[in-house]
Amino acid sequence: MAAPVPVLRLPKGPDPNSRGFDPSSPRFIALCRTSIPTSAAPEADAEELQREQQVRSELRENFLWCLHAMTNKKVQFHMHEKVKVEATFGASDIDVLNFQVSDLQTPIGVQKEALIRSQDVISLSFDM
Amino acid sequence: MAMRQTPLTCSGHTRPVVDLAFSGITPYGYFLISACKDGKPMLRQGDTGDWIGTFLGHKGAVWGATLNTDATKAATAAADFSAKVWDAVSGDEVLTLAHKHIVKTVTFTRDSNCLLTGGNDKLLRLYDLVNPEAAPQEISGHTSAIKKALWCNNDKQILSAAEDKTIRLWDRSSMEEVKTLTFDKSVSSMEYVADGEILVITYGKTIAFYNALSLDLIKTVEAPATINSASLHPEKDFFVAGGEDFKLYKFDYSTKEELESYKGHFGPVHCVRFSPDGELYASGSEDGTLRLWQTAVGKTYGLWKCVLPEDLGSENSEQLYTSPPEIKA
Repeated sequence: MAAPVPVLRLPKGPDPNSRGFDPSSPRFIALCRTSIPTSAAPEADAEELQREQQVRSELRENFLWCLHAMTNKKVQFHMHEKVKVEATFGASDIDVLNFQVSDLQTPIGVQKEALIRSQDVISLSFDM
Repeated sequence: MAMRQTPLTCSGHTRPVVDLAFSGITPYGYFLISACKDGKPMLRQGDTGDWIGTFLGHKGAVWGATLNTDATKAATAAADFSAKVWDAVSGDEVLTLAHKHIVKTVTFTRDSNCLLTGGNDKLLRLYDLVNPEAAPQEISGHTSAIKKALWCNNDKQILSAAEDKTIRLWDRSSMEEVKTLTFDKSVSSMEYVADGEILVITYGKTIAFYNALSLDLIKTVEAPATINSASLHPEKDFFVAGGEDFKLYKFDYSTKEELESYKGHFGPVHCVRFSPDGELYASGSEDGTLRLWQTAVGKTYGLWKCVLPEDLGSENSEQLYTSPPEIKA
């Protein structure tokens, strides 16, 4: 009876919490085009780069505070095909792919708990 | 002592895996993309099967998936009537190309500047990825749904297989049909081997090899069961095939002799492809898994570890993981 070929380990499976594409992997670091216009340019002005990065950090921070402020508030979602729905905002997932909401008011009734695909949302608004 | 093949199972998909493709060899190794009816194509490291990421965005079953040579871009074809182009490093969606029906097949040219698509609307479309806003060029002729389309002859020609039981060769610049092969059965798969211009076609229990330029038949080989997909080794010494009896078969290309067969999948095998270095082949199945198989069983490669006869049963082998024996169906 032939022995089975030994293996070091089994292939790693998907991470249930993220879609992957690890930004700290060597390939990502080497190949991912940065979205900062100045640093994408061949000769990057250090001062300009720093200012741009600072503005990006501020924008990102504002966005995260916004998500935080929306928690448990009534939010109006403006979506494609002229759809406007209202719901109580719960949270966003880490990649901002889905929003978890409660009491989603839809034309066919109220959905107690729902996930809204972020790519379906054009804009959202709420009262602070 | 001969060793028994240990397939490496890649789990993660929740529905049948219908297509898979390898990239070329890059400075970071080579990669594998799998198309699945769960709508979530996945990218994996080619030599280990380790999951790298999932391309999220399609709203229907993904029927075709491909990578460009350096694995920087991916393309997928789906039942949501769209083909999508992705950044294969970040996982971001780069382009959505709307079609009028289910899209079944996508493939890049070698320079990644043009994408060929085909599907149930019976048209072949050529998208200029440098000017994605421009309308695609369309090639009509097939009388039923297109299952597979490929570039050949240095991207100067196109090969397409459809449910109309034909394989057609088209000229890219003139967009005209150059030659047609007609079969009495539907072609289940098609693979193009650029080096040597060989076309590998499967239909019924037959694996057929054609010259890709002239469409002259080279040889046919009969398998013990209906075959859904076959792949020729880069050195052209072996080919592998899989189909409805769940097994993977390995044949000698010159002698046509069946060398080995392997059980492992719990459902029909839909696709099988050799890696670009020929050291392993990957199979995708109705059972929702991909499996990686060694070409040279017992060789140290990827996650497989060669063990010399004197090490078996000694303390050394405790550090190695031996997968539990496959449950025979």
